[in-house]
Amino acid sequence: MVGLSLGEEHFIQGGIAQDLCSDGWKRLTYSPIYVETGVIPQANGSARISLGETDVISSVKAELGRPSLLQPDKGKVAIHVDCSPTAAPMFEGRGGEELSTELSVALLCCLLGAKSGAGAGIDLSSLIVVMGKICWDLYINCLYKQNFATVIGDC
Amino acid sequence: MAGKPGTTPTTYSPSPTTQKTRRPIFNENDVDWVRPDGRGFHQCRPAFFRTGAVNAASGSAYAEFGNTKVIVSVFGPRESKKAMMYSDIGRLNCSVSHTTFATPVRGQGSEHKDFSSMLHKSLEGAIILETFPKTTVDVFALVLESGGSDLPVVISCASLALADAGILMHDLVASVSLSCLGKNLVIDPILEEESYQDGGLLITCMPSRYEVTQLTVTGEWSTPKINEGMQLCLDACSKLAKIMRSCLKEATSTSQE
Repeated sequence: MVGLSLGEEHFIQGGIAQDLCSDGWKRLTYSPIYVETGVIPQANGSARISLGETDVISSVKAELGRPSLLQPDKGKVAIHVDCSPTAAPMFEGRGGEELSTELSVALLCCLLGAKSGAGAGIDLSSLIVVMGKICWDLYINCLYKQNFATVIGDC
Repeated sequence: MAGKPGTTPTTYSPSPTTQKTRRPIFNENDVDWVRPDGRGFHQCRPAFFRTGAVNAASGSAYAEFGNTKVIVSVFGPRESKKAMMYSDIGRLNCSVSHTTFATPVRGQGSEHKDFSSMLHKSLEGAIILETFPKTTVDVFALVLESGGSDLPVVISCASLALADAGILMHDLVASVSLSCLGKNLVIDPILEEESYQDGGLLITCMPSRYEVTQLTVTGEWSTPKINEGMQLCLDACSKLAKIMRSCLKEATSTSQE
């Protein structure tokens, strides 16, 4: 986190009081969003989103696998968010691991909902091919290329 | 538990909510549902704490809430690694691990990799880092048995261990979680209830200051439910903090004898 001096804090607070953020936008306006799909031809599905200065590429690969013994009627989803050092130098090597784990878990909660499946974005039972034998495994990978702000929203 | 016979077990169940209509104990679906361990929906498990569990550590604590058993050791403040940059405030390093036998299925503890960063977030608001510049405080938590509501127990136990180590904090940190099962809110869920939950809410707060250091909401929630859940949890947290305080007082009084 960046340390702010008292003067810089007052500058930001004063700006917000006048409905202006430091990047020139109004308080309640969104930065421009650009969405592009099909950016990775080898993946089954992919998308690239940029929201202001934040840039994220995500891809989905579907492979056939065995369902878990505990839940034979559901497919599997694995999510991994990769924080690249091009976004911030602190992500080099294992630096980005903590943020990456946090984002992956948060995305898993969003897409799979609570443990009972309430509020889920993906219906895991739709991923089953043959009950107990074959199911689709979805591998979702996100690469986060630039800046902080709204990474989780993009993913 | 080393309690005198005849005393009520220490528990931090929140005060019952005042409602005009009585909450139905059973689920509105035709399945009759009672909590597997026989508790009421707003009843928490008895809490057991003991400090000074690990002699080698600066401070340590052991907590047992039903089947959830956690031990936390605190080492520090000790010298930061030479590779670390100079920092005029202290550093907090948290690590939560599970034993391989903690979960019913061997090795499921590695599914909770985010516990370490969540423990860090819950504690960093309470610890006065300015009191130990240039040094690091390490908090190592080990979940011996996972019986549900693991993270709240880890957080409360860690806060007790930090107090035992003499690390200055704004206040003790108490944490309680809640599950939403259909239309019912159950506090302090066990493993089975957590696996069926429609939504989970975890609150970590500093009760004397009435400040929340961490709030985690997962799953499906409606606004009135969240409000009700938060009130229940905050109430339970303040009662839990009282139990933690009495444990610390007991530890110091026995050491003075």
